[in-house]
Amino acid sequence: MDSTRTLFTAMAAALVVAAIVLVAFVMPAEYGIDPLGTGRALGLTAIASPGLAPVPPPQGDTLAPTPMGPVALYPGQYKFDAREIVLGPYEYVEFKYRLAEGATMLFAWSASSDVMHDFHGDRDGAPADAAQSYDAAPRRQADGSFTAPFTGIHGWYWENPGGDEVTISLHTAGFYSAAYRFNSNRTRDTHEVRALDAIPSDN
Amino acid sequence: MKRLIIALLAVPVLAGSAVSAHDEFRIIGTVASYKANVLAVKKKEGQTVSIRLDKQTLITKDKKKVVPADLTAGLTVVVDAYGDFEDDSLALEIRIVPPIAAR
Repeated sequence: MDSTRTLFTAMAAALVVAAIVLVAFVMPAEYGIDPLGTGRALGLTAIASPGLAPVPPPQGDTLAPTPMGPVALYPGQYKFDAREIVLGPYEYVEFKYRLAEGATMLFAWSASSDVMHDFHGDRDGAPADAAQSYDAAPRRQADGSFTAPFTGIHGWYWENPGGDEVTISLHTAGFYSAAYRFNSNRTRDTHEVRALDAIPSDN
Repeated sequence: MKRLIIALLAVPVLAGSAVSAHDEFRIIGTVASYKANVLAVKKKEGQTVSIRLDKQTLITKDKKKVVPADLTAGLTVVVDAYGDFEDDSLALEIRIVPPIAAR
């Protein structure tokens, strides 16, 4: 009788421990569900996010605008950037810029052949699968402006759907602080963005 | 009491084994072999990786569903897989595509 009681006690205790481990450790790490906050505290939620580790936000470099009616002032220079990105057969790439909430960017891109595309953003601290898509309509080029709805990294996913190389030309200007390239071979590069004084003045 | 302690120790160990990092991989190359639900793909860099298939793995050719037996050696494939490492990952989708021209 005692052994049966001990067995049931052990089973009940094991179930309680299993439930705690499930909620506190397994759910945050496997599925990004973190009801107790232990996943964030222990860094387990990052494990649940597929892809590379999130890009850490730079300290003291948010370039958040101060709105003044139709005008917005920024605590730093605007930057500009120009890239040629070559995609091999069936490869994809993501190219993104760090913008603070409300910051603006002008852009123009064109591809030498058809590409799959998704202009989207990743909020700082959010899981990778929580990206917000802004425009995924089929297109081979786009010119436009963008105002970041939240602080994070914002930019394009381009995929080459065919067996020939595709070249993408990208030009941007705006109040961003850094650029990042995420490649289909699981590598990530950080790119310098140029400031206004890099443009020679006309006399 | 001894059983209680063993049970309490065993649960976190078993639960902890489920905690692992998962990445998504795109593997582009040619089929080296397919046997017992394992596809070996030789990448353009020369490395051969093994990718597991399960019942949910979608295999297509010209956007039409095909069966694993159609994964014959020499075919060019684009594999989207999921796992801790590229080698021994689980294939989510396999596309059989036209051969990539050598450069």
